[in-house]
Amino acid sequence: MLRTEGLGYWYQNKDQPLFQQVNLEFEVGQSYAILGHSGSGKTTFLSLIAGLDKPREGAIFLNDRPLTEIGLTHYRRHEVSIVFQAYNLFTYMSPLNNLLTAMAITGASHAGDQDYARQILRDLGIADELMTRNVQHLSGGQQQRVAIARTMCCDAKLVVADEPTGNLDEDNTQAVIAQFQRIAHDQQKCVILVTHEPDVAAQCDQQYRLENKQFVRLAERA
Amino acid sequence: MNFFKRAWLNVWAKKGRSVLLILVSSAILMFVLAGLLIRSAAVKATETAKTNAGATVTLSANRQAAFKKMQSQSSSSTKASRPKLTLTPVKLSDAKNIAKLSNIKSYNVTSSTTVNAKSYDTVSTSTGMGAGGGPGGMKGSSQSSGDTQIDGVTATALTTAFTDNQSKVTKGRGITASDEGTNNVVIEKELASQNNITVGDTLTFKQTTGSKKTIKAKIVGIYKASSSSTSTGPMSVDPANTIYASYTLANTLKGSKYAGTADSVTFNVKNPAKVSATKRAGKQLISSKYSLSTDDAAYQSVKSSMNNVESFANKIVWLVAIAGTIILALIVILMIRERRFEIGVLLSLGEARWKIVAQFFTEMLMVIVIALAVAGVGGKFVGNQLGSQLVAQSTTTQTTSRSSNQPGGGQPGGSNGGNQHGAGGPDSTATTAAATKKANLEISMSAVDLAELGGFGLAITFLSIMIASGGILRLEPKKVLIS
Repeated sequence: MLRTEGLGYWYQNKDQPLFQQVNLEFEVGQSYAILGHSGSGKTTFLSLIAGLDKPREGAIFLNDRPLTEIGLTHYRRHEVSIVFQAYNLFTYMSPLNNLLTAMAITGASHAGDQDYARQILRDLGIADELMTRNVQHLSGGQQQRVAIARTMCCDAKLVVADEPTGNLDEDNTQAVIAQFQRIAHDQQKCVILVTHEPDVAAQCDQQYRLENKQFVRLAERA
Repeated sequence: MNFFKRAWLNVWAKKGRSVLLILVSSAILMFVLAGLLIRSAAVKATETAKTNAGATVTLSANRQAAFKKMQSQSSSSTKASRPKLTLTPVKLSDAKNIAKLSNIKSYNVTSSTTVNAKSYDTVSTSTGMGAGGGPGGMKGSSQSSGDTQIDGVTATALTTAFTDNQSKVTKGRGITASDEGTNNVVIEKELASQNNITVGDTLTFKQTTGSKKTIKAKIVGIYKASSSSTSTGPMSVDPANTIYASYTLANTLKGSKYAGTADSVTFNVKNPAKVSATKRAGKQLISSKYSLSTDDAAYQSVKSSMNNVESFANKIVWLVAIAGTIILALIVILMIRERRFEIGVLLSLGEARWKIVAQFFTEMLMVIVIALAVAGVGGKFVGNQLGSQLVAQSTTTQTTSRSSNQPGGGQPGGSNGGNQHGAGGPDSTATTAAATKKANLEISMSAVDLAELGGFGLAITFLSIMIASGGILRLEPKKVLIS
């Protein structure tokens, strides 16, 4: 589904790239974890495959079409869904409106369908009475679940998440990881998580570690 | 059109910020509206002045030409036969031709003389010198002076003294065009009470020239001259001794050669703005023995005052609009900075940048609509306060300027003739007073003003959002969301 060819990125000095000649493939129905220490460039890699930035060298292909041809705005709107560590919800809206807004912007097939959005929130453990409250009144775990629900209600086949469990406790972390697994396996989407926590990474189907400017594939989950 | 919904949700969720924006926008729009209202009131006042302030064109003998003629004669004459200043009375036929001009509304024939009281006693005055010449001295040496001033007019209602309320009919009626050829007169209240005569009574006076016949006149009205019109110059009679009659009676009293003539004819013009054009057209119809002078002081005073007010109001509108745009732009810039994450999320969802700008514009538009309503209520009050201050200031400047430019309060009677109430002397004060009165601004709000305010509100909102949107257009979601 998603493929990188000779991908490279550096900030100021080409001689000091974050990564170089990265050739990876990501498929639907699978969850991937990108591991790496702070500053290794894993979040930058995520921003490239999320269409938030352009690579310095190489290219990214979605179903064999380069992103430059698809257009980054179109790609972000229809092909990819992003979950952030800081949730990044619309703080002046309720969970329900956050979902409806995302559905409207991305032109999802269920756009405008409140019942559908409510069901997704319900599935993620957001009680009905919380759905119409301002999101700022929700706990961190609840807000992250709303953020995940936002990716689920959109039709994008690619879900990328940047440290999605970074601000969560153990219970919420497990719940969120389980949810990502369901998205990958039940909804047949491609989930790519960027994390620095080996325990979280270990629960994904495949793991890559970014070290020495290269992505090293770790053992597949049994 | 999801940005409409987002805009509404944002405005509703952040009530405190929205109220603050409404207050700031209301203050800006209130001053813009005040400026617009003052401007349109000033334009309206100038338009009203065209019809109400009243400008006149006066046809009279050309004193300058007559003086030149006298000078040329004196150089060739002996001391014994020294030439006299001879002024040719205005022919009524010429006046009727001028009255046919399109801009002439009405005209008033003036013919004045003096007579000596016979059946009554004049009101005594300490400065009682004859009135034959008056300040302008039109009749000059051709007439002897009497103790009673006869002001022959077409109608008293058309004279400056009555139009400016310096004189007022208190009993009976004034002189009208129907009094032509009659001996009907209107006398002053003091003269009537001193002689115990009233409307319906008759009085007799004696000509000062020619056969010095005694004429009997019927009193049809009594008027009261206000003290402010009292002329105390050495060449004047007590105003109480001024009797109004038809100009035909005045001509009869002056002598048979004055039939069909007048000292002067004052034409009231329809549009004071075209008074100069009317004067030019009138000059084509008369000979050089006559002159046409204009008096549009009242109109010019109102016009000048209103031009100042209008110009100031324009400055208010533009200054407030520019300052308002800058203030709102700064507020929106700060607002956008604080919403960078929201913009980043919208961009990460694939929202078009123009739709994000449109969301901010819609939010401001919602604020502006409420601010427009608030400004609509408060703008009239601010306009009234500001307008009256401006007019007071402008009128004071006008009066000061007039006083310093024209010592003595105006030009003397000049060619209008000795007894003619012309543009000079006390009447000038009356004219200024009338002009000042007419210069009051009537601030009223119309749909056009509100529409114009709406336009300004829209433009201010649009510009402030456009200025602030530079940041949105340059914003990279990665820098906001992943850092």
